[in-house]
Amino acid sequence: MNYPIWQLGFPGGLLIAAVAVLHVFISHFAVGGGAYLVLTEHRAYAHNDSELLGYVRLHSKFFALLTVVLGAVTGVGIWFTIGLVSPEATSSLIHTFVWGWAIEWVFFFVEIAAALIYAYNWDTLDRKTHLIIGWIYFVAAWLSLVVINGIITYMLTPGRWLETRTFWDGLFNPTYWASLWARTAMAAGLAGMFGLVTAMRERSPLRERVVRWAGWWLVLGIAALLPLSRWYFHDFPAYSRAYFSGTYMAVSHALRGGAACAGVALLLAVVFALLRPKMMNAVVVAVLLVAGFGVMGSGEYLREFSRYPYVINSYIYANDIRMAQLQGITANGVAKTSPWVETSAEDSNSYGRQLFVMECGTCHSVEGYRGMRKFARGWDAKFASELLLHLPIVRETMPPFAGDDHDRAALGGYLASLAPATPTGANEKALGQQVFAIHCSMCHSVGGQRRPLDLKGTDPDAIVGMVGSLHDMSPDMPSFTGTDAERHALAVYLSNPSQ
Amino acid sequence: MNLPIPHTDPMPLPAPVWLLRTLLLLTFFLHVLFMNCLLGGTAIALICMMRRKSSAYCAQLAGDLGRLLPSIFAFTITLGVAPLLFLQVMYGQFLYASSILIGVPWLGIIVMVVLAYYGVYFYSMHKQSGMTTAVLALVVLLLASIAFVYSNNFTLMLSPERWLEIYRSNAGGWTLNWSEPSLLPRYLHFVLGAFAVSGLGLLVLGLRQKADDYRQWLIEQGSMLFTGATILNFGVGFWFLARLPVSTRLAFIGGNGFATALLGIGMLLPLAAIAHLIMAKANKSPQRQLVIGVSCGVLTVAVMVIMRDVLRNLALAPYFSPNQLPVAPQWNIIVIFVVLFVAGLGTLYYMLRKVAIAGRMQAAAQKAE
Repeated sequence: MNYPIWQLGFPGGLLIAAVAVLHVFISHFAVGGGAYLVLTEHRAYAHNDSELLGYVRLHSKFFALLTVVLGAVTGVGIWFTIGLVSPEATSSLIHTFVWGWAIEWVFFFVEIAAALIYAYNWDTLDRKTHLIIGWIYFVAAWLSLVVINGIITYMLTPGRWLETRTFWDGLFNPTYWASLWARTAMAAGLAGMFGLVTAMRERSPLRERVVRWAGWWLVLGIAALLPLSRWYFHDFPAYSRAYFSGTYMAVSHALRGGAACAGVALLLAVVFALLRPKMMNAVVVAVLLVAGFGVMGSGEYLREFSRYPYVINSYIYANDIRMAQLQGITANGVAKTSPWVETSAEDSNSYGRQLFVMECGTCHSVEGYRGMRKFARGWDAKFASELLLHLPIVRETMPPFAGDDHDRAALGGYLASLAPATPTGANEKALGQQVFAIHCSMCHSVGGQRRPLDLKGTDPDAIVGMVGSLHDMSPDMPSFTGTDAERHALAVYLSNPSQ
Repeated sequence: MNLPIPHTDPMPLPAPVWLLRTLLLLTFFLHVLFMNCLLGGTAIALICMMRRKSSAYCAQLAGDLGRLLPSIFAFTITLGVAPLLFLQVMYGQFLYASSILIGVPWLGIIVMVVLAYYGVYFYSMHKQSGMTTAVLALVVLLLASIAFVYSNNFTLMLSPERWLEIYRSNAGGWTLNWSEPSLLPRYLHFVLGAFAVSGLGLLVLGLRQKADDYRQWLIEQGSMLFTGATILNFGVGFWFLARLPVSTRLAFIGGNGFATALLGIGMLLPLAAIAHLIMAKANKSPQRQLVIGVSCGVLTVAVMVIMRDVLRNLALAPYFSPNQLPVAPQWNIIVIFVVLFVAGLGTLYYMLRKVAIAGRMQAAAQKAE
């Protein structure tokens, strides 16, 4: 409302996800890989293993090139991206945590300098100093996670901050510790994973030694991650834990996919790194990397999804509208609230489209990802605008509609214009099934998980009566806007849906 | 006219404006020094690469720059993060709005930085060849483009009167702030400044050399670059001034005492720098004069950074000043930040000192052999 909307042609949330997953994948490696470097170096000295030392030298250069450049710059990239997609929330985060970020920046510059000095001064520095600089790197990198972890977890579980508005309550929030240790475990796992990447350049027998050593990091990291992420998800707010119950396909897929990736990574690491290190090859390492990316990506996706309908829980909605603003927008209308909408347009469809962009565009597109043309097939304007009154009921993940009746009518009209269709069917039951798809399936299923309707065996005439008084049955239901014939067909279908 | 300036954040500023502004200007000043050496340094390296076969000094400088540029790049980015943070706290509603309007090039900065950064590493890690020259040319192009996008956004954030028109004609963010009258002179002024500062960088590099001829050559080239770019920049600077809105321009030429004084000092300091560099040329032991010259040049950058801030505040004065925002300082965290900042600088000093000592010992050992 307050800011213009960057109209990318696809939901801005996707862009944030793309930049963020790339960044966290590398930045967790940047944390765990620091410990991996120094401990490998220690090991090489302790065993007087000059070959291993040669490996860790090479690995340190690869490490610096990946983390100092792509890792660091994509981190700035997240900042750029969230400022473009959710400026209101970004502004809020900055105002709450600017000193947290300033502290993280201190760790950041120490980290970058230490990484470069460590990677490029193997020949100049004595062993002890070189190790100290490696440890400085690792501690600074982990401390930057200590800070940023607080800001990330705050967005999902602001906890007492909502009342006190103090920095410390926001930072050390209810999911802080579980997330910190889960991320640390992931960092160790990724350190092993990337350790394998450079190990592929070595020859036997060093190669097997390194593969087994890196394999332990990977196995222990991922094995620790499993109970830690369980603890983390367990601390989620009750409303978002409900998303894990199976009603949200995307959540179930991400959960299963993430667990499967973790399982595959563990299995491959145990077999090819610990038991048969001779058999480890570039293809297995590539599969491991993909699996690691899958674990990281699904974890981040679940965290972000669990935050819906908010971007900052109970403070700012996912579409960047502040909770506190909602009442004012409903009372005054969007046109009086946002200077960015073009109200001079006579065409209410164009006004509706602008509202769509503003209120729905962070998560929905028209054609592509969560595309509305597919969902809105067959909707009429009255139905669509009534549905807008019940968005948090339609999906718990959706923020309420913000706007007055005029706005709601315009957006409803726009949505109805996306895919106008009159339900048809070879027989009354087929017609009824279509009517169900258009008018009921947003919230109900027949025999499914989501608010199942079990009216099997009920007299169709009784169902016709019910459909006529939906609003009396529940204030959360929009009224039925189909024709009498459609209503009857719906009743016939619901009374005997199975055949 | 009703301008679409977003409301300020309902949360108070977590620190007094003077502190935020000090940190903004201090970190930005440091960022500019490195950024200038990066932009100018890559361009100098490119020229040296093209002349490496006819001049041994050029080949040597191209090699030296190859070793220095990756670290300069790292410092540029690291020091750029902090001012961007403090800028957002104070001027977020302007910066976010203008960034969205030019979203594609603005986010494109990230892609360009990654490419340029890897390009610099490529240059630094490979033997001098036609290939490395080509990569370096691409890096220079990318860095110059990044600078141009920054010039666009930092002028657009000062022009809310233009926002709606841009948004209506291009909501996808595929545009730049083309209609800004001061865009081109501002950009050129800053880019020429970068060349001037990297001239000083060459000079400093020369002062640290042992080999007499190469040292002399670097000092001469650095002085010439600084002098030439600065003289040109006087012209571009007046052009820039002429393209500013009347009220802002008048403030700098008498209307506002502080702004006018800054402009005056900002013109005297580089002249003083040039004078010392010229005097150094005739002097048998020019070290002292060179150091004074470089210092005057660096101080000029500091004055320019403050002037740039004054210009921003003058442009925004009709709409907003951070001084009108409510303030609720988080002193306990600020203290922790300051302590950690000092500790961080100490750690940095420790590490760099260790490297320097080790480097010197190694050089001595090699000499002994």
